[in-house]
Amino acid sequence: MSEKASTKSGGYEKPLPEFRPETKPYWDACKKHEFSLPRCKKCGKVFFYPRALCPVCMSQDLELIKASGKAKVWTFAIHHMGPTPAYKGEPPYVVAIVETQEGVKMMTNIVGCKPEDVRIGMAVEVVFDDVTPEVTLPKFKPIGK
Amino acid sequence: MASSIPGIEDAREILKKHKIVIAGIGETEQGKIPNKSSFQFLSEASKLAIEDAGIKKDDVDGLVTAFSLVEQTFMHCTTFADYFGLRPRYFSSVAIGGATAVWMVAEAAMAIAAGQAEVVLCVRGDNTLSGISSSGMVALIREMCHAEFEFPYGLTTPGGYALAAQRYFHEYNARQEHLAAVAVTMRKHASLKPNAMNKEPLTIDEVVNSRIIAAPLHKYDCSIISDGGAAFIVTTEKKAKALGIKKPLVYLWGMGEGYSHQYFTSLADLNQIYNAIGSSGERAFKTAGVGPKDVDVAFLYDCFTITVLLELEGLGFVPKGEAGPFALEGRLEIGKDLPLNTHGGLLSQAHLGAMHHVVEATTQLRGEAGPRQVKDAEVALVHGNGGIVSAHSTIVLGKEPIS
Repeated sequence: MSEKASTKSGGYEKPLPEFRPETKPYWDACKKHEFSLPRCKKCGKVFFYPRALCPVCMSQDLELIKASGKAKVWTFAIHHMGPTPAYKGEPPYVVAIVETQEGVKMMTNIVGCKPEDVRIGMAVEVVFDDVTPEVTLPKFKPIGK
Repeated sequence: MASSIPGIEDAREILKKHKIVIAGIGETEQGKIPNKSSFQFLSEASKLAIEDAGIKKDDVDGLVTAFSLVEQTFMHCTTFADYFGLRPRYFSSVAIGGATAVWMVAEAAMAIAAGQAEVVLCVRGDNTLSGISSSGMVALIREMCHAEFEFPYGLTTPGGYALAAQRYFHEYNARQEHLAAVAVTMRKHASLKPNAMNKEPLTIDEVVNSRIIAAPLHKYDCSIISDGGAAFIVTTEKKAKALGIKKPLVYLWGMGEGYSHQYFTSLADLNQIYNAIGSSGERAFKTAGVGPKDVDVAFLYDCFTITVLLELEGLGFVPKGEAGPFALEGRLEIGKDLPLNTHGGLLSQAHLGAMHHVVEATTQLRGEAGPRQVKDAEVALVHGNGGIVSAHSTIVLGKEPIS
């Protein structure tokens, strides 16, 4: 059902996404440093996370559209403890929900600034973090930084 | 009374006809109790509830369990039936996180109304504190978020609630002290509950200066982890009398669920959470024929302090954005406007979902809460919350039959 990316690749031991058939194109685009979002070709809804059918109209006629990569911070939590032992020494780090220019929300990390400088409403843009040879995580940094 | 919500009239009719009651309660010791298994806690709590009702084990013909975080089983209810030596004709496991315990009451009521059982044992127990392995804890945290689109960013469970708290702070100018007041009140109430895990006094300053877990949530904004079990027996007034149950009966007046999202990523705005809490509460209130002002004692899911503020507002006890000052003024304390979680809740007594919330609501309506007794308590509300303020369940309980 899922294709598990290597968990120890390059010494990276934090949790990695396990791709599903319907999500792999999204991750493949990330790997090429292209930020894309799924869109329903029938009703036009841009949605996140990628699914096998449109969560609004159930259409299976979907596409990945090239997205702006621009977003605003909707909320954030400065983590002082990570979820696994691999986060030892890492905190504080920022987990945020950003709202992209296309109107979808997604979870990410805010990087490229001090955690205490993150604000709700802050304009951010995508940056790509190649955490392993197989996995690239889209993260966001303040615009202009 | 007419209602525009589909199903309310049917629910009222069924609850009036069957007079569903909680007729027995049991809770084991709580806290750090090594060397007791999950199934031992389930068994001990069940035994205590059966003895409290004064019935025989064989009188139980229905079983509703939840799940174990430590000993995960594919068929939890029947696994426990085997261990406990029970042969129920109705059995089911409810698995909606923190919304589970409240919905076990509803599940039992529906099974009874549909003729599937007459005396339903509802039980949950776990050795979460002593028994869970570090990999089990990681698996649990992973389960609480989207494994593919959230977990790789390092989200923790407190972090998920911190996301809600940060947005709440932004929208309503709430402060750290507003959250802290909830923790302080829970600790005050826990000091009056014999089996509470944490009873030493706690101040607002101590909460806001405690270690940051996921800003804006500090250590004492987070619930405890504990070992223990709790159970209750759901039946009808008629059957309770036929069985000669002497304990005061506590009546089910209404129930409802409300769904917002599973993953925080899928949340549109805070109103989506309020609407889910509100629709859960409204269904329960409308079925009961009462409103927030009629509630004498409330039991709200308090996995984190922020959860309580959202619930108080979503259920209509206070307007949006005003729960913080309400808590800070001490109005959630026993003897004040809306006594909340008189047993100390998940923040200070024990963490077994909302099992103890249901047990304590029953204790209060029986008038058996001793030093914690809310004077003239006749109507109680219990609200459960699963996921990251995702899935909600509400029941309204009364000292007298529903009218």
